Amino acid sequence: MKIANLEPNQLATWQKAVLWLFKYAFLFAFIAMIFYFSVVSDSFLGGSNLMNIARGSVVVLLIALALTVVISSGGIDLSVGVALDFGAWFVIIGMASWSLPWPLAVLAGLIGGSLIGALNAMLIVVLGVTPFLATLGTFFIGRSIQQIGTGGGASVSYRKAPEDFQAIAQGESLGIPNILLVGATVLLVYFIVMELSTHGKRIHALGIQNSAARVAGINTKKYRAWVFIIAGTTAAIGGILLSSGLRIYTPMAGFAYLLDGIAAVFIGASLHRGGRPNVLGTLIGVLFLATLNNGLDIMGIDFNVKAALKGIILVLAISAAVLVSNRLPQVEQWFSRQKRATTE
Amino acid sequence: MPKLLLEMSGITKEFPGVLALDNASLNIYEAEIHGLVGENGAGKSTIIKSLAGVYQHDSGSIQFGSKSVPQMTAAVADELGIRFVHQELHLVPHFTVAESMFMGQELTGPGGLSVRQMRQQAASTLYDSLGADISPTALIRDLSPAERKLIQVARALVRQGTRLIVFDEPTAPLAAAEVQQVISAVKRLREKGISVLYVSHYVGEITELCDRVTVFRNGKDVGLIDKDTKRSGKELIRLMVGRDLNQLFPSREHLVGEVFLEVNSLGDGDKFTDVNFAIRGGEIIGLAGVLGSGCEEIVDAVVGLRKVKSGSISVRSKKVRVGSPSAALKKGIVLIPRDRRSDGLFLNLSVLENINIATLQDVSTVGIVSHKLSEQRARQMVDQLDIRPGETGRQARYLSGGNQQKVVLGRSLAADAQIFVLDDPTVGVDIGAKTEIYRQVSDLATAGKAVLISSNDPAEILGLCDRVLVIVRGKVVSEHRSQDLTKDSLIEKMTQSITREELRV
Amino acid sequence: MSKVNLEQTLRKPRRIGVEELKGFLIRRGPLLLFGLLLVVLAAGAPAIVSATSISAILVQASPIAIVAFGLAVVVIGGGDDVVVGGIDLSIPAGAALSAAVISDQLTNRGASFAQAFVFGLLAALLVGVINATLVTVVGLAPILATLAVSASVVGVIRVLTTNRRINVEDPTILWIRDTSIFGAPIPVLIMLMTFGLFGYVVHRTRYGMRLRTVGGNLDAGLSVGLKPRILVPSTFIWGALAAGLAGVLLVARGSGMSPGIEERLLVDMVLATFVGAAFSSKNIVTILGSMLGAILVSFMATGLILNRVDNSWVDGWKGVLIMLVVTAAALQTRRSRQ
Repeated sequence: MKIANLEPNQLATWQKAVLWLFKYAFLFAFIAMIFYFSVVSDSFLGGSNLMNIARGSVVVLLIALALTVVISSGGIDLSVGVALDFGAWFVIIGMASWSLPWPLAVLAGLIGGSLIGALNAMLIVVLGVTPFLATLGTFFIGRSIQQIGTGGGASVSYRKAPEDFQAIAQGESLGIPNILLVGATVLLVYFIVMELSTHGKRIHALGIQNSAARVAGINTKKYRAWVFIIAGTTAAIGGILLSSGLRIYTPMAGFAYLLDGIAAVFIGASLHRGGRPNVLGTLIGVLFLATLNNGLDIMGIDFNVKAALKGIILVLAISAAVLVSNRLPQVEQWFSRQKRATTE
Repeated sequence: MPKLLLEMSGITKEFPGVLALDNASLNIYEAEIHGLVGENGAGKSTIIKSLAGVYQHDSGSIQFGSKSVPQMTAAVADELGIRFVHQELHLVPHFTVAESMFMGQELTGPGGLSVRQMRQQAASTLYDSLGADISPTALIRDLSPAERKLIQVARALVRQGTRLIVFDEPTAPLAAAEVQQVISAVKRLREKGISVLYVSHYVGEITELCDRVTVFRNGKDVGLIDKDTKRSGKELIRLMVGRDLNQLFPSREHLVGEVFLEVNSLGDGDKFTDVNFAIRGGEIIGLAGVLGSGCEEIVDAVVGLRKVKSGSISVRSKKVRVGSPSAALKKGIVLIPRDRRSDGLFLNLSVLENINIATLQDVSTVGIVSHKLSEQRARQMVDQLDIRPGETGRQARYLSGGNQQKVVLGRSLAADAQIFVLDDPTVGVDIGAKTEIYRQVSDLATAGKAVLISSNDPAEILGLCDRVLVIVRGKVVSEHRSQDLTKDSLIEKMTQSITREELRV
Repeated sequence: MSKVNLEQTLRKPRRIGVEELKGFLIRRGPLLLFGLLLVVLAAGAPAIVSATSISAILVQASPIAIVAFGLAVVVIGGGDDVVVGGIDLSIPAGAALSAAVISDQLTNRGASFAQAFVFGLLAALLVGVINATLVTVVGLAPILATLAVSASVVGVIRVLTTNRRINVEDPTILWIRDTSIFGAPIPVLIMLMTFGLFGYVVHRTRYGMRLRTVGGNLDAGLSVGLKPRILVPSTFIWGALAAGLAGVLLVARGSGMSPGIEERLLVDMVLATFVGAAFSSKNIVTILGSMLGAILVSFMATGLILNRVDNSWVDGWKGVLIMLVVTAAALQTRRSRQ
């Protein structure tokens, strides 16, 4: 049976333009937002401000990347914030309470995050709990462990953190802030693994059609487990950066990043042809949110109004992105039907 | 003289490239159990869908209860009292029997739902009309498959004005002992004056139940058989199969090597027990059984999709545990699944990606997938299997069924497996692609692979396989060399009636 | 039980013994543990079984129960699949919004209780409509939609209250807070009435049965001609209604509105709803189960405090509780699938 499909070169130029507009609508909105902010404030496009945006987006990026890999595999992870917290916490305690040299403390932080991931993996892969409930449970447990461990939610600070440790988030190498180097490195690794490597393709296969992936011989259990462990570890890196920058660990600080992370992933997915979460799209989503944040700050809006605006604009942005990407095939079909009507 | 209830005459239905119904007719009397038989693709499901209002026939007429029906829609069919008991059971596991019977047709009173009334009516319908002893407060998830099927039937009855119930393969998922329940229930329906259109592959049940049987072949009714006709079973099969047996199947040299795969006393504690067979390299073995006979489950067990409770699987004389398809692949066993759209292909990925997905490590350097190598591999398969259209970048969902199947085959060939398991390999595939696939399967054997095919198409089994194992309700009832069988005799063995089987047990 | 099953059962006696025990433990395990926990807590602090204590526990449970009812309807109608429907994380934020609007109306704008209540309810309902639109029209996954809406609502609350507490001294609110009728405090009565309403709608109306059908098996619902595109969004409106009502109780409990109440409420709401599933014989989320779950959570929190357990450990036990329930549910699904 013949199935009609679109031959791209059969469309008129204006139709191609409309499709292109649709596909990248979000990017245009992004650019419009940048334009607006630069008009409203002189300092917005200045070098130091752009650097601020970049630096401020690294931790969110790490969370968003962790979520990207989990959502690509067909799951969800509500406990990334807690993994971030564990990373931040273990690295501080590592130095303050266990007197570890800072590199070992960093390792402790990474292990902390991966423990959260491992707990998720066990619940989901071994016990068969759905990712939503499993990571929700991990979130609760992680929360309470933090509460208990800090005697009620008090921050833990370590002013005497070695200079080298502080340099992770605050220093520079070859003129580039270290924090950006860390972020860029993780981004590069994720890009290579998720977009280019065999593992990334398999992880995507899991998320696209789990049953087909199984039959095709992909070790679905192994990959699902690893995905959560990797997510936890990546989130922990974010936590370590936070601790390095502030020399203080605040319990439950990670939760605030969850929404931004998920939003960034979905925004990124809407920019992809097949609607799949992807590393570059996530980056764009993160930058969008960071820019939004920064712009609202610069405008000197009242703290509370900013919170409300940010939420509302976020909802609008995601809605626009998803709505547009959902309707894209319909528009394509409509055009192809027009085309066929005129040629018959 | 029995009164005519349903009269469908001269129904024709055409789809792009396929003539599904060719001037077909179907007549059912009141209070009659009327059978409908035919091979896959003969037009059975199309004519039923036309009756259900899912399709609009291109020409012909439908009369119901001596009233003409100009256009049949789901609403019209419902109003006329035509009910359908489909093959798929869509039930909510945690609903009670009463709730399940009234889903979408709830009884209400002044205070909302009339729970007590629904329970009472459920119980009385089940008992009076179907003779079933099922509590209306039992949960669906605690019921056996037969009981769930009866609930489905009861759903149709609990409505007022039911005059005709269409059963589509009602006993396919049932175990032997449960079939009687359904059969008794159907007989009681006739006693109540309700007509039944009974579609089934099980010739034994058809001959036991039906007053008359219509046989479909190639989109047309080719015969109407009365119960009283002697040897009606044989006559049925003859009509179903017809005289034409095309040469679809390539002949080949049977060069057989050592035993690749051996299965001993395999059982899953549910759908099949005590299955034994061995496949050598270069051999093609067929599991022949109707829908629900257990062939699918045996195949699933061999490739690691189904847990095995007893017995063992050995690859090259070494016992192995096949816990998942991934483990199976490592042992050299690969599956071409039956439901290729959900289990075989990634519809939204390209042909290239689909072909390479199981063997990514072969087309990558240092873990990075190389587009060049992937393209090479894909092109190799596209050429070898003649996959059309030939652009490897096209999304798999745009390919025809036959070409989609070839893509799945290509993926398995790329994986260089030794044991190929094909589950219903040409379901929904047109004749041209079928030949192609048969040739590929034959080539596999020529290349020394061991091939296991599960199919409910007897022609396919006989044409392709060296040996045939007949599976009926989970047991291997006989094993033959394919040259010792004819299509008729194979069908007869596959569709043994339950009474005969019970005697054997 | 049908004859066929009986035969099969009799054929393998020994195996059934162990299997049945395992099944019983998995099905009733959480309940047994709850019972044990309650007994242990009561033993350690006998004062908990006094009338005043029980009364306080029930009052504390009331707003939790009401938001849990809202979540329960969304879960019941949306089903297990988190992508299609079945979660609303914005209900606590909606309740806080309702509370904020009510408090603002009463204290800052001198409105009557009736007017304040209506405004609060409308505000919460607006949130529900937004959720429904995002999920059905825009096509956002409910987890993302309700999470984002929740964040926005919290922001709006902060604007409305300038992130400061609002004190309320309205006589109706105080009456709700302080009065008991026949020994039952008003908040508890409100909880029971809401229970009555939600329970009736979900379990005794045709609409409710259709919700349960579509949520129980989407294919089943479609095959009998139901319309999930209308049924599923309606669940978010019920969630919003619950949020609106809970807001009143929140104002009464706190004699006003303090920023940040939604966070604690979110945890307790999810706990109550999902733990509550263990109370139903079918192990599914129900309205009654949610109420019992809320009471259990409240009892546990009070019990732990009276037993001089540190506040942070209370959260810890809540985490363990949800882990147990969730694991048991998963194990059960696995067994029934085999």
